Amino acid sequence: MNTRFRTPGCTGVSRRTFLADTGMGFTGLALSAMLAKEAPAAGLADVARQTSPARAKSVIWIFLCGGVSHVESFDIKPALNTYAGKSIEDTPYKEVLNPERVNSKIVGGNPSHGGRKILMPLQTGYKKYGQSGLEVGDWFTHVGACADDLAVVRSLWTIHNDHGAQLTWQTGRHPREPGHPTIGSWVSYGLGAINENLPEYVVLGEPTGDCCGGTWTFGGGYLGPEYSGVRMGTDPKNPIPFIAPERNSVAKDEQEGAFSLLGKLNRLSGIEYPDDPQLRARIKSYELAFMMQSAVPDTLRLSDESETTRKMYGMDQSHTRSFGELCLAARRLSERGVRFIQVFHGGGGGGAWDAHSSIQKNHTELAAQVDKPIAGLLRDLKQRGMLDDTLVVFGTEFGRSPGAQGDGRDHHPQGFSAWLAGAGIKGGITHGSTDELGFHAVESPHYVTDIHATTLHLMGLSSRAMEVPGRRRLDMDHGAPIKEILA
Amino acid sequence: MALPPWVLPMASPLQFRLSRSLLRAGAILALVGCGAQAEARPAHLKALAEYYDRFLPSRLATCGSCHQVKPGVARPQSLEEAPHNAFGRALVESAQRLRGDGKRADLPSRLREIAGGDADGDGVANELELLAGTLPGERASTPPAALRPRLQKTRAELVAFLAAYRWRPFEQVQRPKPPVPKDPLWRSNPIDAIVASRREGAGLKARPEAPKQVLVRRLYLDLVGLSPEPGEVQAFLADTRPDAYRRLVDRLLEDPRYGERWGRHWMDVWRYSDWAGWGAQVRDSQPHIWRWRDWIVDSLNADKGYDRMVQEMLAGDELAPEDPSALAATGYLVRNYKLLSREKWMQDTVDHTGQAFLGLTVGCARCHDHMYDPITQKEYYQLRAVFEPHQVRTDWVPGEVDTRKAGLPRAFDANPDVPTYLFTRGDERTPQKDVVLPPAVPEALGGRMEVRKVELPRLARVPERQPHVIDALRADVARRLKAAEQEASGAGSADGIPALRLEAVRAEQQALEAVLKVEAVDESEGKSGSGWTEAARAAVAAQRVAALASARLEVALQESALASGRAPAEKKKTGEALAAARTVLVKAEGDSRRPLDNNFKPRIQSNYPAQSTGRRLAFAQWLTSRQNPLAARVAVNQIWMRHFGQSLVPTVADFGHAGLPPTHPELLDWLAAEFMESGWKMKSLHRIILNSRAYRMASTPDPEALKHDPDNKWYWRMNSRRMDAEIVRDNVLHVCGRLDLTRGGPDIDQNLGLEVRRRTLYFRHAAEKEMVFTNLFDGPSVAECYARKPTVAPQQALALANSRLALEQARVLGRELHSKVGTGSKPFIDAAFQRILCRPPTAAERTECELFLKQQAERLVRPGRESEQTATDLAVVDRPSADPNLRARENLVLVLLNHNDFVTIR
Repeated sequence: MNTRFRTPGCTGVSRRTFLADTGMGFTGLALSAMLAKEAPAAGLADVARQTSPARAKSVIWIFLCGGVSHVESFDIKPALNTYAGKSIEDTPYKEVLNPERVNSKIVGGNPSHGGRKILMPLQTGYKKYGQSGLEVGDWFTHVGACADDLAVVRSLWTIHNDHGAQLTWQTGRHPREPGHPTIGSWVSYGLGAINENLPEYVVLGEPTGDCCGGTWTFGGGYLGPEYSGVRMGTDPKNPIPFIAPERNSVAKDEQEGAFSLLGKLNRLSGIEYPDDPQLRARIKSYELAFMMQSAVPDTLRLSDESETTRKMYGMDQSHTRSFGELCLAARRLSERGVRFIQVFHGGGGGGAWDAHSSIQKNHTELAAQVDKPIAGLLRDLKQRGMLDDTLVVFGTEFGRSPGAQGDGRDHHPQGFSAWLAGAGIKGGITHGSTDELGFHAVESPHYVTDIHATTLHLMGLSSRAMEVPGRRRLDMDHGAPIKEILA
Repeated sequence: MALPPWVLPMASPLQFRLSRSLLRAGAILALVGCGAQAEARPAHLKALAEYYDRFLPSRLATCGSCHQVKPGVARPQSLEEAPHNAFGRALVESAQRLRGDGKRADLPSRLREIAGGDADGDGVANELELLAGTLPGERASTPPAALRPRLQKTRAELVAFLAAYRWRPFEQVQRPKPPVPKDPLWRSNPIDAIVASRREGAGLKARPEAPKQVLVRRLYLDLVGLSPEPGEVQAFLADTRPDAYRRLVDRLLEDPRYGERWGRHWMDVWRYSDWAGWGAQVRDSQPHIWRWRDWIVDSLNADKGYDRMVQEMLAGDELAPEDPSALAATGYLVRNYKLLSREKWMQDTVDHTGQAFLGLTVGCARCHDHMYDPITQKEYYQLRAVFEPHQVRTDWVPGEVDTRKAGLPRAFDANPDVPTYLFTRGDERTPQKDVVLPPAVPEALGGRMEVRKVELPRLARVPERQPHVIDALRADVARRLKAAEQEASGAGSADGIPALRLEAVRAEQQALEAVLKVEAVDESEGKSGSGWTEAARAAVAAQRVAALASARLEVALQESALASGRAPAEKKKTGEALAAARTVLVKAEGDSRRPLDNNFKPRIQSNYPAQSTGRRLAFAQWLTSRQNPLAARVAVNQIWMRHFGQSLVPTVADFGHAGLPPTHPELLDWLAAEFMESGWKMKSLHRIILNSRAYRMASTPDPEALKHDPDNKWYWRMNSRRMDAEIVRDNVLHVCGRLDLTRGGPDIDQNLGLEVRRRTLYFRHAAEKEMVFTNLFDGPSVAECYARKPTVAPQQALALANSRLALEQARVLGRELHSKVGTGSKPFIDAAFQRILCRPPTAAERTECELFLKQQAERLVRPGRESEQTATDLAVVDRPSADPNLRARENLVLVLLNHNDFVTIR
């Protein structure tokens, strides 16, 4: 919860560094004095890793599992209506099917996906919104109304054509390469907490299923488990199991005394294992757990919010209530200084948005669950002035194919969209583009780690300054900030 | 950005993998150009690519490397249209030479033979050209002079690569000869020899042997899942015999708690699940499946061979149709039962059998040929045909007449003739009905499956005829008779019901005996003799008497109910029941006046098929034959992982090309060979592993090694591990002296995990029936769990600090130690450390704890403190002590239960 944990996760830590890191810089003399609980460095970020001025204090990272159609949401393609029912081969754009272009970026793809050639018309209407005139599909009218705050990146691509790409969105790595840190872990690793009573990295909603990354999608990977996201429910009475001692049979000061001893003992026995990331994580988990007992229920007491606010998030309606709660909880966590809030929608299995059939019904229903809550979040952040230092990212693992798969659309990793809003982001713009059919990212293509790099940049971080010894990262892992969307 | 950079070769093992798969994709495209007729060529091309692996540039993984494709021929169909170039000719000639010398002439041998030759005469050797990406059979294609020096370096790498032990998961296991490491201490155990050679190759130094105190705890937790008690630690420390460690290993392997610890491991791999459903409706798995869990535990304790275990799980009903233990083993199949979808049921069975026993993602081939591994879509359905006829049923168990209360869920072939079709794109709505697929195993895995039908004994067909079932029926009626006699001998009743009941039960007993008599005669003499007719008539007579007595009782019961009933609705219902009972009575009276015949009512008995297809047995025997390349490799990899916290093949359920290659292929193969040759005995494998130096190393770090190998890929130390979820819970109870070691039996309600003190593996575990406490510690997913993924989370801290389980046990142990050691704080602290962490405290730790006990007690007596928070509705044992000193001691115990060293195995 403060700088003493900010040593590289797994490697190259000498015994001496560890002692210093764990607050035991001076062994021998006055050891017991040093073992007294350290004054918390609340509110202090480790500025050493910040390489540029920070625009964002926290990130709300919304992730829609299963693959949202880009051509009907934030990258509208009227050409699909023009050529509906035709094979791509019979349109002026048949070049998009060039196998080299289709396959060049896909690694270890699942051959049962792709190859959908018969174009399907748009399954919903669309409108222009705001001063920017941003085109948004009718599944997202509420978010559309916030168009002037959004920077839509329309030229993303990813490397896997199956739902393992959910892991790729979070870590930049192929699903066959688990054990890499997520973007949330990097933020947590790079900055630490503002509020020592809450985790730096919180996970809300049902995450990705085991098929497609499971706990790795919010895992610390080689940075160690202390940088993993902490899952929370939204029921303040039971946000986390065992949030209070059984029948309150332990008094607060009694527990404080016990936890304090535990911290000291763990550090003492850790002298033999200065490199052990598990130990470090466990020490931290206890300090955090102690504080969370009161901080988490307080934070999640959504009933504190006014009726107007609750309505803004759609909490008065059954279909929007569930995701509305998550979005409101995300705001409250962000407000209290949680660095990274990862909000999943439609998790488990391959993901709810995976509309291989009946995309109209699927996307209509699912978008109705998230559209108003997300818009409510943006508006609420704005009215509180929080949008100035809170970054909101809306993403999914890939788009959906312009070609039909029955009455659905297939996975589509060659081109898809995401948007960013808030801290340091230019509103009301689009960046990059796909071709007329929405098939390939053509203008300013970006791999998913460019979104990571943009996020880190806005938090004043650079992944290149966070190299971990013994863990050389590739250019692809680092990505580059998308300068064009920065305010 | 173009290709992801890690797709390019030459950077990491994974990158090689990916580049190889791309290369395969390239090969497939190239084959289209080669023409479908050229059947020999895909195999040659594949062999070329496999031989040179990452060293073959992708542009050479085409037909053009050995053939000239004539201009204008788009799809060459024959050698005439695509004649060999000079290199192709050289390969043909090489084959002739090798055969002439009586040598193997497969493509690798030929490539080796002509590596140094120069087929096109351009002055550059064939192999160098291949490495350079130019054609060794075309004079015009030759590497630029500038490149040539670098080629020699690449060639040296290739030579090393070819000489290194190659991982060939689809070829039969051959036992490799262990290398001789530099360090003589690491030569005697082949595991050590291999591990040390690799480690020396990586320039790393091994950690010394761990102290005995660390070893004893490691061994106990590893083998029996419970930490040693202070006396056991002392005994081991005091045992100075040179083979003290070996003796401890042997002793723990004979401890029945071993089966519980390792049983849970295999329950992960074999996907143990209790039943789940909607209310009382069983939708997944089956009730009483715990008998399979007990079979696992017992089989491990008995050191039954892994081969036999697999055979019993897949085909116990065919292998030993009358052995209830073997039948319980088929719980492995029963577990996949799915009320709502036979498709999903079959899918789970096939896919997980592939992953658990073969380490193959056969499930990929359900919709299309497998993209990475040699399994066609047709072969997937042939595997499915192995399981297609089977169903599940619940047999009787001794002492119980109601299979809902107690029974033996098991598999059996219900539909021997049900056809298996290939489903187009894996969709069951589009079966290819023109071809019925026979059961078979994937060709690439070698061996054949010989299916022989199995004749089933009568008692397997008609389980109700088993003596224990008859005993249970007799016991049941005898028990009711005794109750009726007691009731009738009591105070007389106005309505005469006790007497009527006694009469009815007595008649029922006689009828049962009469029917059993008929069955006995039937069995000894058959139905044709006069004995049978006589017995049958006697049975009819007895059944008529019983029917009459039962009807009289029912009429009396309804009359009595009518007399006492008050509500009109109730009266109406009873009236109807009375009328019905009277009708039955009239019929029974009529029947009893009719002349006797031999149409007695037989017991309800099953009539299961007399034959089983034998498909599963044949499959299981193929699976566990010495020829199967994967079964032993997959099993030893699982065992190794659970000893070292790290597996040799990192993808434990995927040994195919999409998985990751082993770090120590020769070690895996050596262990697999050893395993099979020892009769698939797990205990003997444990012994070899546990007695190795590799296992006994300290887990403490070495800064130098950490720098080069942070993941401990080369085993320079032992890995520290966190206890598995079940072990955390078991040990909280165990160190506090309160673990109930009762073994086996029905699953316990998962919601009682904090109160009931049995070992965790005995609690219910199924979809939506999971224990919260163990889930927080990354307990097994019900769907699949080939390897655990331990995390560290604040929720775990809360569970160990706040749960009733931890608080209660800490209070119990605190008081127990207090009463043992008296008031001195030093002996208390020492005893608590020994009990919970299996070691004494260091001086610094002791000082801290003494200070704590003092300060905490002061804090607890401070006036005005929040004493109101002490709940009074807890049972006395759960309540914190009133004495502040004692309460502080309870706190200290709780702290040690939350200590990192408690959940960590060093």
